[in-house]
Amino acid sequence: MKKIIGLFTVIILLTGSLQAQEKATIGFKPSSYYTFSWNTTFTLGDFNKWVTNASPAGFDFGGRYLLDRGLTVGFNIGWQRVSQKYGYQTYYDLDGSAITADNYRFTWMVPFQGVIAYHFLPDKLVSPYLGLGIGGDYMEHHLLVQEIDAYNTRWDFSLTPEVGALIKFGNFSNWGALVAFNYKWTTNKIELYKGSKSKDLSMLNLKVGICLIIR
Amino acid sequence: MKAKLILLIFCAGLLFSSCSKYPPSSVRLTEDMVIYTKYDTATPFSKFKTFYISDTIKWIDSKDSGYYTDSRAQSVLNQITQNMTKRGYQKVGLNDSPNLAFMVVVVKNVNTTVYYPGWYWGYPGYYPPWYWGGSGYYYPYYPAYITSYATGTMMIDMADLTTLNVDQKIWIRWNVYIRALMTGDHTISQIQQCIDQAFTQTKGFSIN
Repeated sequence: MKKIIGLFTVIILLTGSLQAQEKATIGFKPSSYYTFSWNTTFTLGDFNKWVTNASPAGFDFGGRYLLDRGLTVGFNIGWQRVSQKYGYQTYYDLDGSAITADNYRFTWMVPFQGVIAYHFLPDKLVSPYLGLGIGGDYMEHHLLVQEIDAYNTRWDFSLTPEVGALIKFGNFSNWGALVAFNYKWTTNKIELYKGSKSKDLSMLNLKVGICLIIR
Repeated sequence: MKAKLILLIFCAGLLFSSCSKYPPSSVRLTEDMVIYTKYDTATPFSKFKTFYISDTIKWIDSKDSGYYTDSRAQSVLNQITQNMTKRGYQKVGLNDSPNLAFMVVVVKNVNTTVYYPGWYWGYPGYYPPWYWGGSGYYYPYYPAYITSYATGTMMIDMADLTTLNVDQKIWIRWNVYIRALMTGDHTISQIQQCIDQAFTQTKGFSIN
């Protein structure tokens, strides 16, 4: 984490001097841009049966490179956790044992995806886009009851259609904001106790972040 | 420069808020009551008809032992009796050759790390196997256990006395561990609910 903070500090300090001095007449089309976003996850389906709470514990780092007109390709990597404490629930096992207790459930994940996106107005102050991420996740699902930590670890395949907008802080600014909303479907599963078997996991993500724009 | 500083603080805040963790097991262990049960899935519980339960609860700590006879103890014993009666079993005296016998023990004023089966067996004053005419206690399954006892933890063992005539072995068919039940902090109603829950979560336990 220290490395991430350090890297981000260096980027901010070094690139501040690259602020554009051009006349504020029209905007510019970026050759690439990098985003750092705060993610809030809303679980859906079987994932929602596991953890109901929306979770703001997550971040995402991404890069996009302009190919032609508004078409970009790039990547996203991140970290996300959803979690919830449940009071007094009973878990059964096939061996005749059962436990009733307060319990904690959480899943943390490291998503990594290649992304293709189309920007409708790449040179404007507000640049909306549609994108699709294809990749995978590493996930750990934990159930904590007293000193017991039962968990699964799984890799998966994931698809993430996304809609969002890049908002420059000025027509010639190298900095901007990112707001995006996506639906993520993964082949991941949760199989921790009797009755917990899930088919697949899906979620909605709201991303709000900052963006470094390269000309 | 001010904007950069705000951005840095924003990002650092995001990272730190993202990485908060759940409490460690040492903290989770101090949380409230836990009800853990396990039964012998290979035994048809319909073969038992009668049971015996004492009118006292044994307490033990690292140095001494004694008996609880107060209203809380009675509420526990009554609740076990009621649940057994609801399931069709008949309470009988010790001289009436009961099929099952309940042993209820509370760990008092001790926080220690031990392995459940084997610690309090034979503890002075506790029912030794020969009290029933047996040679020893046995589990037909890997029993419910916990590695840390907390003050007020209650353990209930249901012993099968029907096999005594065969090989003098006493098999434990059901065991219960209720953490922090008898600390004095819980109402009688809460204690009764925990006993009820122990029976409720044992699905295979019925005379029918």
